[in-house]
Amino acid sequence: MLEDSNLENLMAHYQQGDFDAAAALIDRLSPQLHRFFLAQLASRADADDLLQETWLRIHKVRHTYRPGEPLLPWLYAIARRVRVDHYRKSIRTVARQQAMEDMSKIAAPVAAESGRLDDLAALLAPLSEGEREVIEMLKVEGMSLEEVARATSSTVGSVKQKAHRGYKKLRERMSATAFRKRHSGGLS
Amino acid sequence: MKDEEIDDVLKETARGPYVLKAGTLQRVSESIKTSLRPVRPLPPTWILAGGLVLVCAAVALAGAARAGFYGIDKMALLERALIFSTLIAFAWVVGIGFVHEMVPGSRRHVAPGALLAIVSGLLVGVFALLFRDYQTSDFFSAGIACLLTGLLFAVPTALLSWLLLRRGFAVNPVSAGLVAGTLAGLAGLAMLELHCQNFQAAHVLVWHIAVIPVSAAAGAFVAWALRLRASSGNRERATHK
Repeated sequence: MLEDSNLENLMAHYQQGDFDAAAALIDRLSPQLHRFFLAQLASRADADDLLQETWLRIHKVRHTYRPGEPLLPWLYAIARRVRVDHYRKSIRTVARQQAMEDMSKIAAPVAAESGRLDDLAALLAPLSEGEREVIEMLKVEGMSLEEVARATSSTVGSVKQKAHRGYKKLRERMSATAFRKRHSGGLS
Repeated sequence: MKDEEIDDVLKETARGPYVLKAGTLQRVSESIKTSLRPVRPLPPTWILAGGLVLVCAAVALAGAARAGFYGIDKMALLERALIFSTLIAFAWVVGIGFVHEMVPGSRRHVAPGALLAIVSGLLVGVFALLFRDYQTSDFFSAGIACLLTGLLFAVPTALLSWLLLRRGFAVNPVSAGLVAGTLAGLAGLAMLELHCQNFQAAHVLVWHIAVIPVSAAAGAFVAWALRLRASSGNRERATHK
């Protein structure tokens, strides 16, 4: 029966102490949360850590979810906070600071230059952090503008603006990639 | 390239079964299972916001009861009605904003900084309309005394508000601190309007209203410092492990 329930019902059962509902939620939402972290240029190991940390945090503050409200904005708002905390912790660690700088300098250009469109993180790499998360939530997870605005603690107007900017960058990049492919195909 | 084509590429990229590392989900489920018990969800926003307005009113009235209701006694009926109804309305709006900051995934209509600017700006407008005595005497000495008094009553308001919303979870502590400070500043300002009988326009417009932005800045700073302290504590614990 739980398998057919919507996310909000499962969450309400989870709040009542139902372990099956909690397990069903974890099964259903973990893949998209993991993909969300990966799309933010986290490594696979970091995404695993972030996923576990997010569920522990969700468990700790599960009383802040109000039955009847949409679940995804609540969930992603917590996931974003976990990600921010994680990066702050990483940045403060001197040894990892260099690695973070290298990653942010290298990851975007490598992904952008490789021309691979089969990987979400690589595809979204040229976008800013805000644009990336907005497009990921809107277009990959299928959340509405209102839900994304709630998840990112911003207004619908701001979400629209970020999505517009992100699409502009994606369009430029995809057009350039398509042009390169056509050009190289024509030469060969 | 059209937007629809980009949509298709994004959906295609994310399509397909997504396999997580074996054991990850099981570990999460197991760690939750050990501490799973029923919890009571937070009350509706209107109850919490109403509680915050009551806290503000109680602190302002308690402060004025101790220091004297000289200000409200000297005011005309129209001034009383306009000033205190405006303060209650703003406390309600800012209270709702504070509750939203403490509940993840809440709808945000206005950013906390914009809310502070709007509230302060509108209060300047209302006070400029009502207080027309343009003389200035003891501008700094009387003003600083009022600012400090207002801030003195903002502190208990902030503490009681935090106590009321302690079960919440701020996804952005600095924003939450800013809104909490704005609310506490409104309580400090209400206390000054009940107590202070200096109706010079410059005094009221500068020093009374200054309680709000100063209190908001203090709230944001305290939240930032607490967050920094908490993350340092976590780091030290991780190092000791």
